Amino acid sequence: MEYDVTIGIEIHCQLKTDTKMFSGAPTSFGRKANTCVNEIDLGMPGVLPEVNREAVKKAVMACTALHLDIDPLVKFDRKNYYYSDLPKGFQITQQFHPIGRNGYVEIETAEGKKKIRINRIHMEEDTAKQFHLTKFSLLDFNRAGTPLIEIVSEPDMHSGEEAEAYVEALRQTLYYIGVSDCRMEEGSMRCDTNVSISPKGSGVLGTKNEIKNLNSISHIGKAVNYEIERQKKLLEAGEKVLQETRRFDEKSGETVLMRRKEGNVDYKFFPEPNIFPIRLSDEWIKDIQDNMPELPQARKERYKSEYGLSDHDIGILISNKEMSDYFETVTKFTANAKSACNWLLSDISAWLNTHETTIDQAQLNPENLAKLIAMIDDGKISNAQAKKLVDDLMAGKDPETAAKEKGLEQVSDTGAIAAMVNEVMDANPQAIEDFRNGKSRAVGFIVGQVMKKSRGQANPGMVSRMVNEELAKRIS
Amino acid sequence: MEEKKDREYFRKLAHQLMFDLSDEEADGIVKEFGELETQMSLLDQVNTDDTEEMIYPFEQATSFLRDDVVTNVISQADAMKNVKKNLEGHFVLPKVVK
Amino acid sequence: MIAEMVKDRDGVNERVSEAVEKAHALQESLNAVITFVDPAKQLEEMPEEGLLRGVPIALKDNVNTKGILTTAGSRILSNYVPIYDAEIAVRLQKAGAINIAKASMDELAMGGTNKTAYIGPCHNPWDTRRMTGGSSGGSAALVAAGVVPMAIGSDTGDSVRKPASYCGIVGVKPTYGRISRYGIIPYASSLDHVGYFTRNIKDACVTLKVLAGRDERDMTSSFKEVPDYSALLNSDVTGKKIAILKNVVDGVSTPEIVTMFNGLAEKLRKRGAIVEEYAFDEALMRAILPAYFIIANCEATSNHSNLDGIRFGVREDGADMAEIMTNSRTKGFCSLIRRRFVIGSYGLFEENQERIFRKAQKVRRKIVEALDECLKEYDAVIAPAAGTIAPFIDDQADQDALGEESVVAENYMAIANFSGYPSLTQPMGFVDGCPVGVNITCRGFEEVEMFNIAKAIEEETGLADLVAEVK
Repeated sequence: MEYDVTIGIEIHCQLKTDTKMFSGAPTSFGRKANTCVNEIDLGMPGVLPEVNREAVKKAVMACTALHLDIDPLVKFDRKNYYYSDLPKGFQITQQFHPIGRNGYVEIETAEGKKKIRINRIHMEEDTAKQFHLTKFSLLDFNRAGTPLIEIVSEPDMHSGEEAEAYVEALRQTLYYIGVSDCRMEEGSMRCDTNVSISPKGSGVLGTKNEIKNLNSISHIGKAVNYEIERQKKLLEAGEKVLQETRRFDEKSGETVLMRRKEGNVDYKFFPEPNIFPIRLSDEWIKDIQDNMPELPQARKERYKSEYGLSDHDIGILISNKEMSDYFETVTKFTANAKSACNWLLSDISAWLNTHETTIDQAQLNPENLAKLIAMIDDGKISNAQAKKLVDDLMAGKDPETAAKEKGLEQVSDTGAIAAMVNEVMDANPQAIEDFRNGKSRAVGFIVGQVMKKSRGQANPGMVSRMVNEELAKRIS
Repeated sequence: MEEKKDREYFRKLAHQLMFDLSDEEADGIVKEFGELETQMSLLDQVNTDDTEEMIYPFEQATSFLRDDVVTNVISQADAMKNVKKNLEGHFVLPKVVK
Repeated sequence: MIAEMVKDRDGVNERVSEAVEKAHALQESLNAVITFVDPAKQLEEMPEEGLLRGVPIALKDNVNTKGILTTAGSRILSNYVPIYDAEIAVRLQKAGAINIAKASMDELAMGGTNKTAYIGPCHNPWDTRRMTGGSSGGSAALVAAGVVPMAIGSDTGDSVRKPASYCGIVGVKPTYGRISRYGIIPYASSLDHVGYFTRNIKDACVTLKVLAGRDERDMTSSFKEVPDYSALLNSDVTGKKIAILKNVVDGVSTPEIVTMFNGLAEKLRKRGAIVEEYAFDEALMRAILPAYFIIANCEATSNHSNLDGIRFGVREDGADMAEIMTNSRTKGFCSLIRRRFVIGSYGLFEENQERIFRKAQKVRRKIVEALDECLKEYDAVIAPAAGTIAPFIDDQADQDALGEESVVAENYMAIANFSGYPSLTQPMGFVDGCPVGVNITCRGFEEVEMFNIAKAIEEETGLADLVAEVK
């Protein structure tokens, strides 16, 4: 039996701000427990929220990049429930008036481009972190109050691949505009995926299951596809799909039951009385929108028109914003963008991988890379020689100095090469004889001997040309 | 399907609010609940058909937003000041049973 | 009185010591103090200048004071030592005020009797068998007994203005947003106001100047400039239009109070004020109590969800998080509070919210619209602040229970909390040796107008600087 698959995704994204959503304590990751908090984050009696402008700005940026309509009247609501990681006993969120509505993001699918609609984006605050030991649970409130946006998609995806592409597109976009770190493995981007299936064409939505704990993009596709198969099996065995929250188990690649959902929890939402509605001025919103960083899609198009890079190379460059930014810096110093791209994606990426670092951490100077490219283009060194300079380049060395130290200068002096060519020919009369008898191999032999004599430093193009000329002369 | 507003109903409600009620207290609420319904009828006598909820005393929108600058961080010792025991600067709870 | 104290720079230490001694001496009969605060360090750090320099004061125990026990009258907070100061605590320190006591209050400010404080009821200095009213009863008692000339309270429905009436002092609730709520343990955020008690109108002016003003940590705090209330104070009411809340006067059960009130109105007329009866739609007036009860309890159940024994407060044992929370909250709150939370939570349920909470919020608007209508024509609304003198503490009736019938005269003052408008109670006279007050409400941010009318009343009644002799 064929099935329709329906997937909707809710993403929580920590906003990149210096302080919390509602308090002037710093945001943090990996700091000592309970050192990035104040009385507000601990939900001490008598505290009041103070809305962070930068968080609102980042939310406006996210809405803009994802084509949502922005509500300039910002309002907050309370979501009431009791849990030890929720210090106030309620979370301040935007239930009734989200900052953004009705947007979309474009993804690439096997069938071409497709728009996934976004229902809403709203601002809220993160909870504290709990660590479960054998006998105790420990609570660290450093994360409590960190600004979040929740991005809720429409149920527009129909396969694990589409789900993955959607999250990747969001991740790329939000990362590019500097709204979030989007580190799924560290939890700064968290993804809840709802999957349901129903007999093809039935038009009825099946019971949906929510998958949590997806901490890398590749897990999303795997988890969704597993879940689709699991639900198919259930339906085909005549069983019912129950409404469940499941978690993805990395090791087995399966989704595992966390809890059954029994009715809807009543969060008793009501407007937050401590925050009057906040009117964002049209000028402020326009200013943010006029100064948006370049979106990945726009950058892709520009790389094609401006540099003529291949789709493949563009794809790889764009997927790594730091590399892409670096590429752009290098192009300020060289007109040979293609070569710059090749170097970055091949030898330099390989070096970074080996050394387990990233381009923004490396000591490579963009001007030096441009210089290296110029040295090759000018025939001062060969490509093969240049590759020998990668370690120096990555140590921050000037390639000219490094080439000199390594004695890697290419000999392009006609006289010097001519002398070597003559010497080699004089010493190998048999080769000339072979050539005369039509054995073209002889050319390669002589070129090889000349290169050897020059210890590899002669410009191979020049050597080859001059050997051919000399041979022609000698047999005439 | 109105649930019966008896002792057990309110006790269940109390448990959602993370506290318990004695029989006497629960009965007290049952009684008070009847009075609440009487009071509600006083509200119902006010026609609010075209009236919006009044959520705040003053309804003119503000424009103030806080600058994203660290203004107030407390020490770990202060964070732990109101609990008897902590483990390496964490609040400690017996294991949450799932 | 405050101005004279501040001028007497040499008398500070003696004055503060006397206040401390008196507070201790009266504790047995009044039970007004939860925590006595040692003034030594404050005296050392007292600024050279300040509107309240060297003036002993008391704070209601829902004002967070760094390093000083702050219980909000609740068992669950009976070990809570704040790590931060409320905005007003800082302002008072900067003005040179010396805090000598954290005053008793109804548990979490959710009462009107001061009988629900976890330390037991507070006694009225005029007659210790009687209550102070609440929820700011401890503060009211300390001012009325002459311990301090000013004490901080908070007012969600009438929690400053009712005890002021029962204790024969001035109780002020300025406009919402006028005084920062940062660091005040809340009851219901959309109705909560910081208020205070003094023994005369001049002192009320000085105090507001110190407390009022924008605070960035309270997003509902007003940007409006703070006038110099003392300089602007005059008792000229010529041509002022004052509305008498007829529905309230009609509902007052004590005839002497009605006579007294009518006499006062007549005196104001003689001073040139235009004083007229004004009747509100009775249905609206009767809806004040239920609307208040619902909004306050719905907001309160959410506001107090942070009291779970995990990060602060009294933690009871339990096998896991849920048990700890449940045990701590069961033992930490008195029966009344838990009942209120249940009802508040019920009103917030999705299936009930439209019919209960939102209905109450809509009625709130209707009531405020009616008040606005009245204040379009009139500069102030006045009425007796209570229908009786302070009731006896051991009166068997549960004054905090939701009564069968809404008693308009006892509950109308919440209109100033609904609207956020400034409102004060001041003494009007005595019945059976116990004081009773009159209440004035003006338009938003028109405290100056309110103080002027109050000053005229004070001059007419001659009831300023009353001190009860505690027997």
